[in-house]
Amino acid sequence: MRVPLSWLRDYVDVELTPEQLAERLTLLGMEVQKIERWGADWKDVVVGELLAVERHPHADRLFLTRVTVGAGEPLDIVCGATNIAPGQRVPVALPGAVLPGGRRIERTEKMGVTSNGMLCSGDELRLTADADEILILSDTAPLGAELISLYGDIVLDVDVKPNRGDALSLVGLAREVAAATGAQIRWPETDPVEGGDDIEQRLAVTVEAPDLCPRFVARRLSGVRVGASPDLVQMRLLAAGMRPVSNVVDASNYVMLELGKPIHTFDAAAIAAGTDGRATIVVRRARQDEPLETLDHVRRTLDRETLVIADPERALGIAGIMGGADSEVSETTTDVVVESAIFDPVAIRRTGQRYALRSEASLRFEKGHEVRLARIGADRCARLVAEWAGGDVARGRVDSDSVEPAPSTVTFRPDRVNRLLGTSLSVDEQRALLARVGLESEAAEPDDRVTVALEPQPVVVEPAPGTAITALVPTWRRDIVIEADVAEEVARVRGYDVVPSVLPHTPMPGWRPSPLEVRDAVREMLIGAGLSEVITFALVSPRLHDAFGLRAPVPSVGGEPPPGGDRIEVTNPLSRDHSILRQGLLGSLADVVGTNRRQGRADVAIFEVGKGYGREGDRTREWWRLGVALTGAAEPAAWNRAGRPWDVDDAKGLLELLCRRLGFGEPAYAAERDEPVLHPGRSLRASATGDGGAPTLEAVVGELHPDVVGAWELRAERVVVAEVAVAGLGGGQLTAVRASPPSRHPAVERDLAVVVADDQPAASVVDVIRASGGDLLHSATLFDIYRGAPLADDEKSLAHRLVFAADRTLTEAEIDAAIEGITAAVATELGGRLRA
Amino acid sequence: MDLAGLTEDLHALRDEAIAAARAAASTGDLEQLEVDLLGKKGRLTVVLRGIGSLPAEDRPRVGAIANEVQTAMRSALADAASSLRSRELADRLAAEAVDVTTPGRSIRRGTYHPIVETADRITRIFEQFGFVVYEGPEVEDDLTNFRMLNIPQDHPARDLWDTLYVDVENHLLRTHTSPGQIRVMQSTRPPIRALLPGRCFRYEAVDASHASEFFQVEGLMVDEGTTLADLKGLLDQFAQAMYGRGQRTRFRPGYYPFTEPSVAFDVECLVCGGSGCPACSRTGWMTILGAGMVHPVVLQYGGIDPERYQGFAFGMGVERIANLRHAVTDLRLYMENDLRFLEQFR
Ligand SMILES: [Zn+2]
Repeated sequence: MRVPLSWLRDYVDVELTPEQLAERLTLLGMEVQKIERWGADWKDVVVGELLAVERHPHADRLFLTRVTVGAGEPLDIVCGATNIAPGQRVPVALPGAVLPGGRRIERTEKMGVTSNGMLCSGDELRLTADADEILILSDTAPLGAELISLYGDIVLDVDVKPNRGDALSLVGLAREVAAATGAQIRWPETDPVEGGDDIEQRLAVTVEAPDLCPRFVARRLSGVRVGASPDLVQMRLLAAGMRPVSNVVDASNYVMLELGKPIHTFDAAAIAAGTDGRATIVVRRARQDEPLETLDHVRRTLDRETLVIADPERALGIAGIMGGADSEVSETTTDVVVESAIFDPVAIRRTGQRYALRSEASLRFEKGHEVRLARIGADRCARLVAEWAGGDVARGRVDSDSVEPAPSTVTFRPDRVNRLLGTSLSVDEQRALLARVGLESEAAEPDDRVTVALEPQPVVVEPAPGTAITALVPTWRRDIVIEADVAEEVARVRGYDVVPSVLPHTPMPGWRPSPLEVRDAVREMLIGAGLSEVITFALVSPRLHDAFGLRAPVPSVGGEPPPGGDRIEVTNPLSRDHSILRQGLLGSLADVVGTNRRQGRADVAIFEVGKGYGREGDRTREWWRLGVALTGAAEPAAWNRAGRPWDVDDAKGLLELLCRRLGFGEPAYAAERDEPVLHPGRSLRASATGDGGAPTLEAVVGELHPDVVGAWELRAERVVVAEVAVAGLGGGQLTAVRASPPSRHPAVERDLAVVVADDQPAASVVDVIRASGGDLLHSATLFDIYRGAPLADDEKSLAHRLVFAADRTLTEAEIDAAIEGITAAVATELGGRLRA
Repeated sequence: MDLAGLTEDLHALRDEAIAAARAAASTGDLEQLEVDLLGKKGRLTVVLRGIGSLPAEDRPRVGAIANEVQTAMRSALADAASSLRSRELADRLAAEAVDVTTPGRSIRRGTYHPIVETADRITRIFEQFGFVVYEGPEVEDDLTNFRMLNIPQDHPARDLWDTLYVDVENHLLRTHTSPGQIRVMQSTRPPIRALLPGRCFRYEAVDASHASEFFQVEGLMVDEGTTLADLKGLLDQFAQAMYGRGQRTRFRPGYYPFTEPSVAFDVECLVCGGSGCPACSRTGWMTILGAGMVHPVVLQYGGIDPERYQGFAFGMGVERIANLRHAVTDLRLYMENDLRFLEQFR
C-alpha cells in the first residue's frame, strides 16, 4: 500500500525522518519496501505569479503571459490554457527545467514569440489529473519557491500482510505508527451535515442474500455538481496510486484509502423504482446468464454464484467487484446513492477469480471488514461528496442490519506467552504492550477460558486461578483470536530484540538414518571420476518427454516405487516447455549437452540425481534415478598424451565403480537393440545384485541414436548416456563391509585364450569360464580380443587372465584339472576351443 | 725362484693392480680386472704357484706378504669401484633430467552443483544440532500443502503462493517444503528435530530473481519447552556457520499462516556490512529466511497436542543462501547448467 506521508499526518503526528519511520514500521511487521520521493523528478519548477495575460499576436488559442518568480526580470511565457488570470500563482518550469518522465523544458519560440519556460498543468507535474488547465496554486505559496518544497511528498510503500486487512488504510497504518511512537490518533470527521428529505422516502434496500451480504448501508445525496475534486484530493490520490476521476468517485476512493472500506456510488436516477414508487436496491444472487455491462465497458453474462447489486429490473453491478456502466456517476448525475456494504470475503474472492477481475476494492473485501465500518464508510463518503460536490445529504441511512457486535475478548496466560517467546516479560509489561495497540485488559474472570486452538478441534483450557488475563480486542483486529496471537502482538509491539538467543536444551530425538547417504556417496564418486553435477527442471515439454521416453523404463530396485504409469500434466503451466513432469532424466541431460555444445564446449561429462514422476489414476508416485551424459574427450589430448573420446565402455566403467563403491556385485550386461532413442548396436542393459541376490542396480546405457543427436541439435558426434536405478538412492544406507584376511599362500595366474564365434558375446564366455572353473578359480578377467590369422574370418580369440587361489599352496595338477574343466565347458557350451 | 724374487713379483703385481684399478673406465672393466688378478686362475694364483719351490721356512713369510698384497689389491679395486659407481650414477642422473616446468598430467574431477552443495552444507550444519533429515513428495495433496498448514481454500493468504496444479484430483506441485512438517509430525513423536530439503514449484514467470522450480530447506523442532528464543539461538549459530563468526542478526515480524508468532530472520547486509547499499535496499539488513512458532492448527493436524507441546519451524530458499555465499545475482544461472558457470564451484 502506498502511503503519502503528508496524508498520513492528518491522522497521526510523525516526528521521525522517513527512514526512521520506515524502520519502525518494518520492525512492527508493516514492512516498508520502498521510500519514494514524490516530486523528486521536478527540477527548476518554481512558484510564479501571473502579472499579465494577453492574447498571442499570431495565434488565437495561445496567450502571452508575464510571470514573476520573485527575483530577476519577469518572464514572458506562452501558454495555451484558458483558466489563467493575472494575480494567480502558478507552477513555472524555468528554461532547463525537467518534468516527470524526463521531459525537458527549454526557451522556445512559439509563433514568433519567445517563451521563457512553461506554465504547468497538474497532469504535467503528475500532481492532479487535469491536463487542460494550469494548476492554480494557493495565494500564500511563496514566490520563487521550488515546487517540491511545497508539494513534494514522501510515499512509503508498505507491504501489509494478508491477515492485516485493517492496516490496508491510512487510518490503520496511523494506528500502527501510534503504537510505535505513542502518539495519539486523530479520527477524521465522519458525520455528514444532513438536510432535505428523509432517505427512507426515496430509497429502499432489500438484501435477499444476507449470507453473502451481512450488512448493506446506503446514503443518498441530491443536487450534487459532478466535477473535478479539489487539487489536494487529486494530489493525494495520485500519490497513493489512484487516478482521480470525479469528485464523487474520488470521494469513494478517498474513503477506501483512508478507512480501508471500499465504497460504491450510483447515479440515483439509474435505480429503478419498486412497487411503492421508491428507488429500490436489491442485493441478490444473479440469474443464470444475466447480462451486465460493467464499468470497464465489457458486456458480461453472470452466473448464479455471483452476488449482484440490482434494482427491481436488472443488475446494476457485481457486488464488491465492479459497478455497472449504466448506473455509473457521470457529469450529468445530480443525485447520488452511496453504498457501503459488508460482503462475504470468500464469495468475493471466488467471484473475482471467476471473472478475472480484481481491484483495490475486491482485495480489501477479500480480507473482510469489521461490521461497523459499513456505517462509518457511508457517513464519511457522504460527507466528502457534499464537501467537494455540494448537494444535500438526505437524513439518515438505509441499513439492512444495524446491529454492531461488541468487541470480542481473548484470554491468555502471560506465562504461556513467555514460554512461547522464551522471554520473561512481566504481566504488567505484557498488558502495557497490548494497550499500545488498543487491547485493554484485566485479570480474567473465573469462567474465562483460554483458546489455544480453534481448528481442526477447539482446544480450550481452563487457566490456573489468578494466572490469566482477558483482553478486549478492538473490533478492527479480527486477526487476534487465540493465545498465540496475543504472544505475537506482545512480541511485535515490544520488538523482537526482546527474544534472547539461547541454544535448545530440550531432549534430542533418537538417531535416524539420513535419506541422503547413498545419494551423497554416488555423487561424490561421480565427481571424483570427473563428472559435473547438474540440476535440471522436473517440468519438461511434451516433445522432450515423448522423444526420450524409454519403451522399457529402467525398473526400480531397492523397494522404490515402480517407474512409469501415466504422465502427470500441469493444468496451468507457465509454458508448454514446462508442462509435463518428467519420467526420466535422459532428455533433460541431452538438453544440457546441447546447451553446452552450442556454446562451443567440446567435452561434457555430467550427471544428475533426480526424480521421475508418474501416476496410476489418482495415486501419484516418485522414483529416484541417476542420469549420466558423456560427450567429447574422456581424456583430453595434452602435450604428453593422446586424447580419447568417451565411449560406452566408460559408462560401464562408471557403473562398475558404482557397484564397487556401494558393495553390489559386478554388473551383468546384455545388448539392448530396441530403444528408439539409443544406437541399436551400442546400447545395453546392466543389472547388479546385492548380497542376498536382490537387484540393487538396473540401468540402460548406450549412445544416443544419431537421429536424436541431430533432431535435438546436440552438435556432437557421439553422446553416451545412462539412466540408472540404484538401491538406496531414494533413501538408504551404505552396507558395512565384511572383511576377510588375505591368504598367506600365493595365488597362481594362468592366461587362457578361448577361440569362439565372432558374434559370441564376451560376457557369455567369461560366464562359462567362471561357472566351470571350480572352487579354486578366484577371478577371470578379459584382457585381449584378437581377430585375424591364423583364426578363421568368423572367429575371435578372447584372452583371459585366470587367478587361482586357496588357503593352501596349489599344485600344478589341481590347476591343470581346472583348466581342463574350463576347456571342456567352452567346447560343449560355446563350441569354442583353446587357442594353441 | 727365491724368496726375494717372489716378493718382488708380488709387489710388482700389487703396484700394477693398483694402477690398473685406478685406470679402469667402467665397473665392467673393473670386474674383469678382479677376475684377472684374483680369480681362481688369476695372476696372483699364478705367482703363488712359485711358492712350492721355496724352502719350507720361507713359506710362512711369503704367505704373509701374499695376504698383504691381496688386501691391498682388493682395497684398490673397491675404492675404484666406488668412485666409478658414483661417477656412473652422476652420469645417468644427468642424462635422465627432464624439463620439470611442464604442466602436470591433468586429473579430471567434476564439480558439485552449487544448489545441491549449499543444501548439503545447510543440512550438515543442522545435523550437528541433532536435526534428522526427512523427505516428502513433490506432487503433494492440496490438504497437506495448504489446509493442514492453516491456509484454507479461498483465504487471501493463498495469494502468497502462486501454485502449479496438476491433472490429478486434489494434487498440486508443492509450493514449499512446509507440508513436510505435517508428514514428520504424523510419523513420529516429540522430541522432534527434523530437516526437510527439497525441490519446490511456483507459478512464477522466470527472471533474475524468480524461479518456477527452486529448492528449500525446512526445519522443524517440537517439544514441551521449545521456544522462539531457541530458534533465535539456533539461527544465530547457523548464520555464523554459513557467513562467518560475528555475523549480526535480528528477528523482525513476519507473516505465515502456519506459524504464530511469525518472524523474518535478517543478517546484517553481507555486501555493505550494515551501512546501507542497493543490495539491502539501504536498510543494512538482508532477510535470509522466514520462521516462527508452529501454529496450533498445524500441530493438531500433525497429531500433536498444542497445549502440551510447542515448537518452531523455519524455511529457507537454498538459492537465496547460495546467492549470498557465491555473489550470484541471477537465479537462472543455476538451471542453465552452462559448465563455464558450474565449473567455478568445487
Ligand atoms: Zn547493504
